[in-house]
Amino acid sequence: MYKTAATVSKELLLLSRDRAGLLVLFAMPALLVIVMTLVQENVLQTMGESSTRILFVDRDRQEVGRSVKEKLMESGAMEIITAIEGKDVDETTALERVRRGDFQLGVIIPAGTTAAVKTRAREVVRGSLAMDQTPAAGGGRQCDITVYFDPTVFGGFRSAVLGSLELVILGIEMKEKMNVLSDLLPEHIAGNLRKAMGSLPPESFTGDIPGIRLDFSRDRLLRVAERPASQSYLEKKPTSVQQNVPAWALFGIFFIALPMAGALIKERHDETLARLLTLPVSFLSVMVGKIIAYVLVCLAQFGLILFIGKYILPLLGTPMLEMGSDPAAVMIITISAILAATGLGILLGTTARTYEQASMVGPISIVIAAALGGIMVPVYAMPKVMRNISVYSPLEWGHDAFLDVFVRGGDIRTVSGNVSALLSFFLVSVLISWICFFLRSRNGI
Amino acid sequence: MQPTDSFNENHTPSGENVLVVRDLIKIYKGATVPALSGLNFTVPAGEIFGLLGPNGAGKTTAISILSTLLRPTRGSVSICGIDALKHPGRVKGVIGLVPQNIALYAGLTARENLRYFGKVCGLKGKILDDRVQACLELAGLENRADQRITAYSGGMKRRANLAVGMLNNPRLLFLDEPTVGIDAQSRNMILEKLALLKNNGTTLIYTTHYMDEAEQLCERIAIMDEGHIVAEGTPGALINRPPGYAGLGDLFLALTGKDLRD
Repeated sequence: MYKTAATVSKELLLLSRDRAGLLVLFAMPALLVIVMTLVQENVLQTMGESSTRILFVDRDRQEVGRSVKEKLMESGAMEIITAIEGKDVDETTALERVRRGDFQLGVIIPAGTTAAVKTRAREVVRGSLAMDQTPAAGGGRQCDITVYFDPTVFGGFRSAVLGSLELVILGIEMKEKMNVLSDLLPEHIAGNLRKAMGSLPPESFTGDIPGIRLDFSRDRLLRVAERPASQSYLEKKPTSVQQNVPAWALFGIFFIALPMAGALIKERHDETLARLLTLPVSFLSVMVGKIIAYVLVCLAQFGLILFIGKYILPLLGTPMLEMGSDPAAVMIITISAILAATGLGILLGTTARTYEQASMVGPISIVIAAALGGIMVPVYAMPKVMRNISVYSPLEWGHDAFLDVFVRGGDIRTVSGNVSALLSFFLVSVLISWICFFLRSRNGI
Repeated sequence: MQPTDSFNENHTPSGENVLVVRDLIKIYKGATVPALSGLNFTVPAGEIFGLLGPNGAGKTTAISILSTLLRPTRGSVSICGIDALKHPGRVKGVIGLVPQNIALYAGLTARENLRYFGKVCGLKGKILDDRVQACLELAGLENRADQRITAYSGGMKRRANLAVGMLNNPRLLFLDEPTVGIDAQSRNMILEKLALLKNNGTTLIYTTHYMDEAEQLCERIAIMDEGHIVAEGTPGALINRPPGYAGLGDLFLALTGKDLRD
């Protein structure tokens, strides 16, 4: 422990004197989080153009359910998923999967929708033909199509989807009303004529044509009911702050890999590592000391970014960062993400032969992982192929876990999958590094 | 305070062998020629033993194996009676290494470097403070101890590099070209300090390309070529080998040839 503590203090001292390194670790993510949040404030409100996956539960299984599904598919902007792993999705599963962020929204068509729509359509049209000025309010009820949204979905995207759905059901309603109208109108006209003319020939009719109340289209048959999928019903609206602060904090955390890799390569090249390996100290102790030092630096860096999200960005006109209700989960995610980043640093520092190699591969791989991980653009707004790749990005694991707590009201249990993935990444990186180190040391360091 | 006062004498009985190397062979993966091909030598306590040889002769490979950094393909190494290949951890407590490069943290001061390596060796409290101070004085750096290594001249860096090697008072110290690239004054000072260490009982294994330095400092010398020793003895005995040589350099060229080694 004493020797490990010596390494921690030495690393911190070295880092504190590395001005360029500190700039990369603190100023860069701080600047990024401010700039990107402000830049994306409007962009994220207006986006929602790309195809998105919708969980579709048709409990109606009749005309209206089939019609909504077909028309959503025809729009081309949505991919309709009705079964997962060969099993039809039910409402509970849909809610759970949307809550977990696997899908951005779920559409539930209740059982009996078609019958209800037909009954109500007939009432509405009858009311119109009777020139009744009061809205139809008979036994036919207005049916709710429930839409569950992942709370991380941005407003613009949400509006676009709801708008599409409204158009679809308006089309269905209109078709149904016209069907009913075409059924009832001839009978209605004939009845009125008979009433007005008795036995006279039609040519002798001089009175008014029986009227129809033309605003029957306003009497809705279906309604889109938007509901949050989050566990806590108190839904937090996603903002660019909620998206960007954890995103760029993670980006900054992963940049710790560069100074760490650089330090390892330098130790190898200037034979400091050789010297350490000949001293009565275990290599594990040296590495643990190094990792602890970088974890402490990253925690300070993360604290700075949260401070900016909480106190600086609101001064610039953005909403304040909401951090959920489980600080322990936030801490666990943070430490797991930092360990994953140090794992990457160790891997880079061990496998790269020169600092130039590490400084080329490191930043590029981090930027790619960040792009895939939804740091720059939310994962749900990416093309399908990129969404499929994004699940392999450690930054996506970290970001998704933060969104689980910050926006979806999740807790430690909710984020356990992503945390396990981050810790596994750390362990695998260290294991690969150890194997590389072992193989290399057989041939001289 | 005299620098030597803080250095404990190394109590390996005089004449007892501190280092015994037997049939050491090292073949690097993918190499067609062995880096070491049957290296044999013995170094008694308190001796300065010079390992000379052209580039690629196997000196650094030998030092790496002896200092536990590298595993040999075959052979045995005994340090202070401990099998260094079976128990590298135990050997680390009695050896020191002064690598060819400046193996220091350039962003730290000399004192901070010494304190860090001292702590890693398990030194604490007053013992650590005293040992750090003694090493700084021995290296002639006590007045510049709080400057960062980056601000040091080449000679000062070499002296600081040596100071760290002496920190844990090793019984066997490996020095891999410790005077390369420095001025005559710094070199002279380092040689004086090494002689002082020897007088305190520390055994030194010394590699260098400077023949005059080896002749001045080493009690015995082994000239290596192609992975094994081609001549071994005291500098005087080696020079006087028939037909007689003008100096160690003359003998070296005669034994290893004048062809360039890459």
